[in-house]
This record gives sequence, structure tokens and C-alpha cells, in this order.
Amino acid sequence: MRFITTKGSAKREVLVVGILFCSAVMLGWADNWEDIEKESSNIRSVSAHFSQEKHMHILTKALISKGHFYFRAPDSVRWEYTSPVKSVLLMRKGDIKKYTLGRRGFVEDSGVSLESMQIVLQEISKWSRGQFTGNEHFSATLKGGQVPKIILTPKEKGLSAMISRIVITLSPDRQATISSVKIIENKGSYTLFEFTDVQINGEISETIFREVE
Amino acid sequence: MKAFALYKRCFLILMTVFFIISCSRLPVIKPVDPAMARDTMQRCHLPFLDIPYRFVHTIKVAFPGGRTGTVVGVTAFDPATKTIQSVIMTIEGFVLFDASYEKEVRVNRAVTPFNAEHFAGYMMDDVRLIFLTPDGRLSDTGVFEDGSTVCRYYVKQNGVIDVIVHKDNTWEIERYSDSNELLRKVTTFSLQDRIPGMVELNAFGFREYTLRLNLINAEPFSPEALQLRPDNAPEDDE
Repeated sequence: MRFITTKGSAKREVLVVGILFCSAVMLGWADNWEDIEKESSNIRSVSAHFSQEKHMHILTKALISKGHFYFRAPDSVRWEYTSPVKSVLLMRKGDIKKYTLGRRGFVEDSGVSLESMQIVLQEISKWSRGQFTGNEHFSATLKGGQVPKIILTPKEKGLSAMISRIVITLSPDRQATISSVKIIENKGSYTLFEFTDVQINGEISETIFREVE
Repeated sequence: MKAFALYKRCFLILMTVFFIISCSRLPVIKPVDPAMARDTMQRCHLPFLDIPYRFVHTIKVAFPGGRTGTVVGVTAFDPATKTIQSVIMTIEGFVLFDASYEKEVRVNRAVTPFNAEHFAGYMMDDVRLIFLTPDGRLSDTGVFEDGSTVCRYYVKQNGVIDVIVHKDNTWEIERYSDSNELLRKVTTFSLQDRIPGMVELNAFGFREYTLRLNLINAEPFSPEALQLRPDNAPEDDE
């Protein structure tokens, strides 16, 4: 029963949080990589609510989670679940910690290794600048049209065992943000994230990225 | 002379250990009035739901030394066929482990470290212990000193399982080895309509750990739903 503590799963977990965070900061309608990169370069901070729907064959109806997301350039992230589980993932200045609310308050999960964090933060740094092409872990395809999409396909066998592909759907409205991020694991099993109340370049207190509560 | 003293000490330690082990014995069950035996046996079924059910829990895992982690577990079981389907995923929704049990364990998906040898078997054993009536011969029924009802099952090649139902209807399930060593202890809390709000499983012995399952959702389901694996599920990105 030695789970939670190995580098692989922790790395993948944080990697995907990274993808979500970058998805949230990619604003606006875009039909080429240059536009995305240009838009991304103006982002200083983002805050948003998110809902997460988990669909899989064992569930007749999706498992819904909700939470808040905060980002401040260059590398501060707070990924917080408010229901049904209270959990907070903090990334700040190369340091990453995850906490889950228990009977005695928030307790730090001991599952994220330093090595994993460094790799993931490097990836996040690239994505936050809109650099999806040439990524070490994913191949990226941009599909334009009325509902533009970015499709990320894992390059590594280890990662593809976990994720079949990721589909980021951008809002057809130029002024709007992305509409959803769908992480497809296999047939019938996927996670759909939707962002609402997205605030761009607003003031976010430093304590948000430092303190759990 | 020193060597002799060392051997003597080792021998004493070994004898002490042997004595302790040989003294392990199961908790004593006091017999009940034969007229009450049927009621006692029925009470022992209280922990086990008799229709297919699906549970969603957060599972906090704790190891000696303070290492902890939290995952989400989905468990669906059919008591009639004793089939189980179990999924473990991260809070972020990533499936780490997906396996079913129907006479034998079948792993549909297991990512490192959940693909470790024997992990699936041990895990399904824990799930079965919590949710299903023990597979074994009911050898004894009665009460403990505190008045709790107890049913003792002898499980072939797997020791003994005691199902203990307290006066407040919460329960414990204890699993012992062939040498009567306590291996697992399941304790339930915050009961509502036979569904515990929290279940704690303590594993003892060589691999110690604690699982604390907090209920998110519990609902009955049609067993056919589990068989309908969505092989024809759309794989489009819409």
C-alpha cells in the first residue's frame, strides 16, 4: 500500500494542474500559435472559479468538484478545491506543497518530490509564455474554426498510459476566455474543467500563495 | 564465556517471543441464549448491505512516521454475486487504479506505484473486508464482555474474521491470522441508515497503515450498469 509517495504519480498530478493553469491564462480567440504566445505574454495574474466533472464507467452521474484558482506571474499558483474535498495546492518560487483538510485542520500531503516539482515548473514556465509547440511532454495541435481547440497528445509512453489527450476549447467570442479543458484518459473516462468569473491582471495578495487558510 | 552469554540471551529473547506468539488468542465470545441465536446472527448482517451499492469516499492514507496522502475512492459492489469494482483517483480526477473482483482480481488500469506486485490483491481484500459478508464458515456467535454482538467466521487458509456490532449499531470487523494475530481492524463512525459517515481501517503487522474513508456519496445501483462498460463511448473531443 505504498501509494501517494512516488515521484511518477505526483509528477503527473502536478503536470496536469500545470496544464490547467496554463489553459486558464490563455485568453482570447486564437487561430495560430503566434497569437496565443502574444496574448499570453501580457498575463500578470489570473483568478477564477472552476468546476470539475469526473466521468467514468463506474459512475452513473459525474462526480462534481468545485474550487478556486489563482496565478501570479512568474510562478505562483494556488489551486484550491472547496467541495467535496477541501484541498489546496500551492506553488511559489519553485516550491510546491499540497494540503488536505482533515479532522485537525489542513495537513500537508507528503507525496510531491522536489525533482517532480522542478520538472513541472519548467513546463509551466514554457506554457505560461504560450510555448506549446516544441514541448518535451506533449505534441500540440491547434484547430481553428468557430470553436477553436488546442489538442495536446502525450509524447511519452508513461504519460500516455495516464492521459490519452487533452482538449482545450477556446470560447468563440474574442473577448471571452477558454470555455473548457477536457482531459481524456480512455474511452468513457474523462475530466472536464470549466472556468468562470475569470479575472485577468487583478490584484492578488501574496498571502494567497503562501498561506493555506 | 561471552559467546555463551550472548547465545543464552538470544535464546531467552526467542523463547519470550515464542511465548508471546503462542499466547495470542482470540477475544472470548460469551454464548447467548439459543433462543436469541437467530437474532444475533441477523444483527451480524447489519454492516453488510444486501443490494448493489456504490460508495464515493475520500481516502486518507497514513503510514508510520507521519506520511499521509489523500485520494478519492469509488467502490461498487453486488453482494449477491460478491463482485466488486474499485477505482482510486486523485482529487484532481486522475484514475490511478481501476480493478474489479469476481472470483479473482482483474486490474483494468494501474499506474505506478499502484501496479506494484500484490497491491491489487491486498487492496481488494481490504475492500471485501469492509463491504462484503465474510467468505467463510460461521463458527461462533455470541456477545463480548461489553454486550456487543459478535459473529466469528473461519476463512479458509485466511484465519478468522470477527464481525462485532455494538449496541449503538456501529460496528467493527477484525481479521486475525491463523496464529490469531490481529491483521486488520475496521471501525465505523457516524452511522446513518446503515451507512457509516466514516470508516477507518487499520492494518497491523509487517505493513502498517491506516485508511480513513470519509463518505461523499452512497447510492444503490443496478448491477447491469457495471457490466455496460462504454466500449462504444464517443471518443470525440466535443
